[in-house]
Amino acid sequence: MKYLYEKDLRQMKYNILTSTKHDEAVRAIAERLGMSNAKLRMVLIRRFDMSLLENLESRWEMGQRHADDGDPVAEELGYELFTRFIPLVDTETMQTIYSDTTAMTQEIPFDEAIARGKEQIREAVLS
Amino acid sequence: MKKTVDVSIPLGPMHPCWKEPVRLKCETAGERVLKTELELGYMKKGIERIMRGRPWQEVMFLAERVCGICSVVHNMVFIETMEEISDIAVPPRAAYLRVVVNELDRMASHLIANFSYCYTIEHETLAMYLLNTRETVLDNLERITGSRINTAYMIPGGVRFDLLPEDAAAMLADLVKVEDEMKRYVRIFETGPLIALRSKGIGFMSREEAIRSHTVGPTARASGVEDSDIRLRHPTYRDLGFTQITRTEGDNFARVMVRFQEVFQSIDLIRKCVETLPDGPIRGGGLCKAGEASYAGEAPRGELTYTIKTDEYGRVVDIAIQTPSIMNIEACAHTMIRDVASIADVTSTFISSDPCIACNER
Repeated sequence: MKYLYEKDLRQMKYNILTSTKHDEAVRAIAERLGMSNAKLRMVLIRRFDMSLLENLESRWEMGQRHADDGDPVAEELGYELFTRFIPLVDTETMQTIYSDTTAMTQEIPFDEAIARGKEQIREAVLS
Repeated sequence: MKKTVDVSIPLGPMHPCWKEPVRLKCETAGERVLKTELELGYMKKGIERIMRGRPWQEVMFLAERVCGICSVVHNMVFIETMEEISDIAVPPRAAYLRVVVNELDRMASHLIANFSYCYTIEHETLAMYLLNTRETVLDNLERITGSRINTAYMIPGGVRFDLLPEDAAAMLADLVKVEDEMKRYVRIFETGPLIALRSKGIGFMSREEAIRSHTVGPTARASGVEDSDIRLRHPTYRDLGFTQITRTEGDNFARVMVRFQEVFQSIDLIRKCVETLPDGPIRGGGLCKAGEASYAGEAPRGELTYTIKTDEYGRVVDIAIQTPSIMNIEACAHTMIRDVASIADVTSTFISSDPCIACNER
């Protein structure tokens, strides 16, 4: 949504993400996704509004605690974590990645299939 | 022929229903809200940065200035974090007095939150009644601490003033009056057909959604999240037999009702404290030392966490404050407001989550 009088919020969003606790959360998410902190910050600033950025740390914490219990593929990919808790990937895309990865686990070793699935998630996050 | 158009409707930053400036950008299909974005940054204080490098004696006063509505709990959580770092014990009498003052502050906060809600749904009579009752509560806060808002009542190892017997008697008499008035107001709220139209089933948030966005306080408890009151883990509240109030409806009505019920609970807690107030000193003393701790307390809006790192002189080296409004406002913007059937319900739903922008922006 853009208005004529829209302010550029990038600097304020960056300030939120670089505060002590948020910085820790960003680093943890970037590590989990296997991408650089700067790239993740760029994506977060582009996609999330200010309240979601402020709440990033709590959502990450709750995601660690409650998301993807049971299914090992979903857990490794962060199916719920990156769609519902930290909405970086839309549900349809994640479902496709999940189905592809589950199919791959039948053909190639589990770790390799997960690595390919994570690569697809990175692409989806950066797209 | 009725025509439905898609429009983007900005609400705020200046809006008659908002207590503080914030902008909600609603994407709508006709009157139905599809998506909301929230824009902050109109009152950023940078208080965490101001606190860094300062001695605790200064930070204590800054902490309660994070929020003008729940200032007592900011003072309390900051001081209890410092006590945790420095292993400072609190005399039992001081611990009970802290609960009294904290519960008066909670009552004042809940009353102004429900005032705002009633004002937003245009029930100005009930709104003004609630504001009037809040004055009585603030008078009692002033009687004990000497100040209505920024009390600076708690210090490491105790509190600054004792509760005199005549003040305790006057407060208990006032609480009887407040309780009677509140019973009447709650009856008005519960039975009002127009209030029900604007409140029941509006701004729904399920328990799962509340957990996902880490919603806290009355907002979470109105959606049936159990074990979401930090007072359950506080030693003094445990001594007083505190139990959490929970409702399951998850709508605007439930959020306001939880706050009403908590006002009655606060009155009971204060009475219990005064009845069982232990004798003894109100200050134990102790020195603030170097260390690091993260400590949470239950603010009127929910879990308030202070993460503090200090040096050997008790100076605050680093501090992070996680206020409850951060989680509640986000949940409100992205969950409760999504799919509301009318733009008029956006303002009432937003206010029902008791948003504190001052807390959010720190």
